[in-house]
Amino acid sequence: MSSKADWKTILEPVNPDSNEPLFFTKHEWDTVEAIAARIIPTDYDPGAKDAKVVVFIDRYISGISYIFASADGSGFLEIDGKHAHSWRARISDLQKVYREGLQVVDQVSASNYSKQFVALDSESQDEVLVKVSGQPKPGAVNLGTTEPATTFFQFVSDDGLPFWPAICLHVKQGFYADPVYGGNKNHMGWKVIGFDGPESLKDTMDGTYTTADKFTGDYNWGELIPVLANQSDFPVPVKSEGLYN
Amino acid sequence: MTSKIKPAPVDVVIVGLGANGGTAAKVLSEAGLKVVGLERGPWLKNDKHYSGDELKFVNRNYMWPDSKLTPRTVRRSETEVAEPYPFSMTPQLVGGGTNHWAGWVPRPRESDFMLRSLHGDVDGASLADWPFRYEHLEPYLTKVEWEFGVSGIAGADKTEPFRSKPYPSMPLPPTRWGKKFYDACNKMGINAFPIPHASVTNGHKGRNPFNRTSFWNQYGDPSGARSNTATTFIPEAIATGNFELRSEAFVREVVVGKDGKATGVIYVDEDGAEIQQDAKVVILTLGAIESARLMLMSKSSKFPEGIANSSGLVGKNATFHEYLFAIGFFDKDIDDPVYGWAGNYISGGTMDFYETDESRGYIGGSITAASQTCHPINMVFPGRPLWGQALKDSDRTFFSHAMKIGLILHDLPQEANRVDLDPNVKDYMGLPVARITHKAHANDVAMGKWQVDKNVEILEMAGARKTIPVYLDQMTGNTCHQHGTARMGFDPAKSVLNEWCQSHDVENLFVLDGSGFPTATGVNPTLTMMANAWRCSDYIASYYLKGREMRLEPPK
Repeated sequence: MSSKADWKTILEPVNPDSNEPLFFTKHEWDTVEAIAARIIPTDYDPGAKDAKVVVFIDRYISGISYIFASADGSGFLEIDGKHAHSWRARISDLQKVYREGLQVVDQVSASNYSKQFVALDSESQDEVLVKVSGQPKPGAVNLGTTEPATTFFQFVSDDGLPFWPAICLHVKQGFYADPVYGGNKNHMGWKVIGFDGPESLKDTMDGTYTTADKFTGDYNWGELIPVLANQSDFPVPVKSEGLYN
Repeated sequence: MTSKIKPAPVDVVIVGLGANGGTAAKVLSEAGLKVVGLERGPWLKNDKHYSGDELKFVNRNYMWPDSKLTPRTVRRSETEVAEPYPFSMTPQLVGGGTNHWAGWVPRPRESDFMLRSLHGDVDGASLADWPFRYEHLEPYLTKVEWEFGVSGIAGADKTEPFRSKPYPSMPLPPTRWGKKFYDACNKMGINAFPIPHASVTNGHKGRNPFNRTSFWNQYGDPSGARSNTATTFIPEAIATGNFELRSEAFVREVVVGKDGKATGVIYVDEDGAEIQQDAKVVILTLGAIESARLMLMSKSSKFPEGIANSSGLVGKNATFHEYLFAIGFFDKDIDDPVYGWAGNYISGGTMDFYETDESRGYIGGSITAASQTCHPINMVFPGRPLWGQALKDSDRTFFSHAMKIGLILHDLPQEANRVDLDPNVKDYMGLPVARITHKAHANDVAMGKWQVDKNVEILEMAGARKTIPVYLDQMTGNTCHQHGTARMGFDPAKSVLNEWCQSHDVENLFVLDGSGFPTATGVNPTLTMMANAWRCSDYIASYYLKGREMRLEPPK
């Protein structure tokens, strides 16, 4: 058994243009792709179908080979020992959640429209997903309001999620994760929202990728912090020196 | 089970090599003592294992304990059966929480050490004074700031108590959203300043802080910017030649000898072999949840309820803070982007709402700070539409037009809020997991409400056109801050540890993490913990292991 510190790098980055499922049947693949296209639709910008989110999800739940990219994004970590055992159990649960959830989607489509989900127009598909989710279709977020929420949980995982919240989370992940995992083709998801992310994971390890231009260049500590004028124990700086200027 | 040769006894064995274990390792090995450090997790290397991969670090929990292997359970009352819940799952690896943390390291205030003297009995709470005061800790706060690496501007926080030295590094420049915070605070007469940060922006102690990626909170830092004990104190301890680190070593029991002193610990190594490491002193630094769990698991005929637990207080009076906040959205069509996702998590903050003002309807107060809204998958956006055009539109509109102002809730200790051993749920080794029993105090709820509403006011002054306040419902453990499960005090009937974090019952057992904190403070606790671990390690090296004793007078 080897420590997490010694896990080897295997495989290569996922090819987003692959049409070969590792886990899904052809029909499941097409259904996931169609659902993803309703979760993040294509409009004047690309959506989840264009970003190849289906490839991302298929690889993720195919086994434990595509869980953690290596730090530099050249491939994937070979999970070992007790962690392999735990991830196998987790993925096996997700496979079941997807297999059963996709059947439910087709059953709801059949009972309402006498067709499979993939054969419906997008409006009918949305009606089916509203029924599957058990909640109204989410409405637009508007300015000019205050909307209280309670207790926010920081730890985000998909353990124990039912089908609908799981696929919504996974589509978001596939649209916005580093392209090594198969989705977010050509950083398509990032471009839609204006995120200037790194070209590669390696670029985040060596100083190549920088967000220094997103800081404030035009500032003076004495103006931002007026009380500095009243203290004399320590020197009062004008600006921070260093890498961010 | 494999059998291995029993290792030679040492002066000190440290269990858990995070912020505090790393501090103890440095101080004790530099004092010439032979020290072994046991860490249950791996020893990841920052330049080899860390990069800006949101999915891996934030969603798939690469660095965090796997909640299938090492679950925790939570219940909200005595009558419930606790459910598995990843409560306060602080990373368990060499460096501990200093691997993933944002790194807020404000100093505590004088009032934090004397809440009971200031407020007397508060209904439902178990307030206690600390057995020492700010002035006892100040020299050690300064040592940690300089040796570990903290950036800040001395004199910028007008409420800060006496400090003997400025900071070794300047802070980062303000982010765009940080600038909004400063400007709003200045309009409102609030003293905003750069929250002291466990990172350097210069070459302090030979560091190369090249990371400008904004992949910060919950990510490991591949550069030398972040102060992490795995890249600072632990290598310094190893360089003395007196410190040996064993990772993937799970300690399951502290062993007690016939004389009532600890003889050492039993751990299970990577190959499943059980090994006993004897030592003159045993130090626990696993964090207040796991240190309490280990003490409760260490049952013997002398300590049937767990080692060092004659008071029955091990695990009780647990406090966890809670991160509460409000989000503000700007108008993409009118306002400049604030890039809420950029920065090293925090920018400006204030301590103006920290001290008690009873007109607010509660005692105590919290640190407040502007901070990142984080990356695309996990944007901090309560009420983010789950799917459809609304999701796409809101992501596109608000990703670069959002900011957040948050606070660390100063929760009050209550004896019934506690850590104990779950009677049903076991970890992958078959050992009982930590069960959390926790219900928020009315003071916690009132404080959260007032402070979040204040954050909304600041956001509105900053020009936000929509706000989302997040109030306290129940504790989720979202800060990873843990305290109180072996509180310090002078009276062995009312406390587990004395003023040196030394067990009243077992004189060679010390618990040098947040377990000893009688009250939680309203600041991020790590600087206070590390300074206290340094202070107590000094005592172990200069007094205890030299056969001497020194006691503090109860402060007036």
